[in-house]
Amino acid sequence: MNAVKNRKILVVEDSRLIHKMYEVMLRPATLVSAFDGREGLDKLSQSPDVDMIILDINMPKMTGLDFLGQVKATPALAKIPVIIVSTEGKEEDVARGLQSGAVAYLRKPFQREDLLKIVNHIESKQTAA
Amino acid sequence: MIDPPLLADTPGDGDAPTRGGRDAMATLRRAQQLVRDAQAAIEEASRVVGQGNGAGLADGAEARLAAAETERQELTERLAEVEHQVGRLMTLYVATYQLHATLDPVEVQTTIAEIALNLIGAEQFVLLLSDEEDKGYEVRLMHGEPDTPWAQAPRYTGGDPLVDAALTDGGLRFGPTEQSPALAVVPLRVQDVTVGALVILKLLAHKLDFVKEDHDLLDLLGAHAASAVFASRVYSKTARKLRTLESLIRLVNKG
Repeated sequence: MNAVKNRKILVVEDSRLIHKMYEVMLRPATLVSAFDGREGLDKLSQSPDVDMIILDINMPKMTGLDFLGQVKATPALAKIPVIIVSTEGKEEDVARGLQSGAVAYLRKPFQREDLLKIVNHIESKQTAA
Repeated sequence: MIDPPLLADTPGDGDAPTRGGRDAMATLRRAQQLVRDAQAAIEEASRVVGQGNGAGLADGAEARLAAAETERQELTERLAEVEHQVGRLMTLYVATYQLHATLDPVEVQTTIAEIALNLIGAEQFVLLLSDEEDKGYEVRLMHGEPDTPWAQAPRYTGGDPLVDAALTDGGLRFGPTEQSPALAVVPLRVQDVTVGALVILKLLAHKLDFVKEDHDLLDLLGAHAASAVFASRVYSKTARKLRTLESLIRLVNKG
């Protein structure tokens, strides 16, 4: 998992359990945690240098899609790759997420390998660019 | 490479070579040519033989390469399997960690719900917990609006055979059956006492069935959620008693 070494990832997710899961699975990346979309935007304004965002959809205060819309509408943040990880797993949910600007969509419950595959793929693309 | 022997002109008798001498010279030159041809043939043969050995070596190398490739594939598969196991262990670790990370009964219930939803993929589920006086089971948490009649009531009074059986003997049950819509009933047991049950009624649309990993998680939930619920209840009772005692002491001190 050295691909995420020295990387900063913003996790926007309302479940403490899943935050802990990312902490364990994405070690040694630096995680910035937010528990809803609004807090996610606050954290982004404090740390705009994040390399990637992992985003839930169903959250209080501001949903993941609203958050994603705001991120994509902000030129300085629009290029940050966003991975949606959600229990909303219908085809139309996935299509909506990807159309909103996410680079990948992972359904919960997810396997660690699947998450790492996506993260590593994004990392390699960023490194190549 | 063998150098052909140098052939000097054989002197004849007098200035002109004799016929016999000329013949001998021609024979010698012919012999010289034959030696050259033979040497060329030997070189060619050596080259061919050398190539033959190379082909043999190449065959050996190819076999070793194929074996190495097979081994590499086996190692890749084993690595993938190990990675998968690591992922499973991480999931179990996180679930256990989070269940015991708090002594607040509400937070413990929230964690149970998060495990059911996010790690197991349950869309509809009900958490039954024994009440403080152990006189029955309350519906403490409901997710996904299940249409099961008993889930709508504040207390579970029996009626679902799978739930009843799990609450009675503490064994994990899988359904559905003709009499029960429950997909799984996970009794929460600590020290041979059933403190409740997680009843899973429907999985997320993209989750077709329980997988092997879910069984580990359900087992874990049965034990760890029970002890977490039990510990949080004991702690909150103790904390309540402590607050009461402190209030009493303050009153006595004032008096």
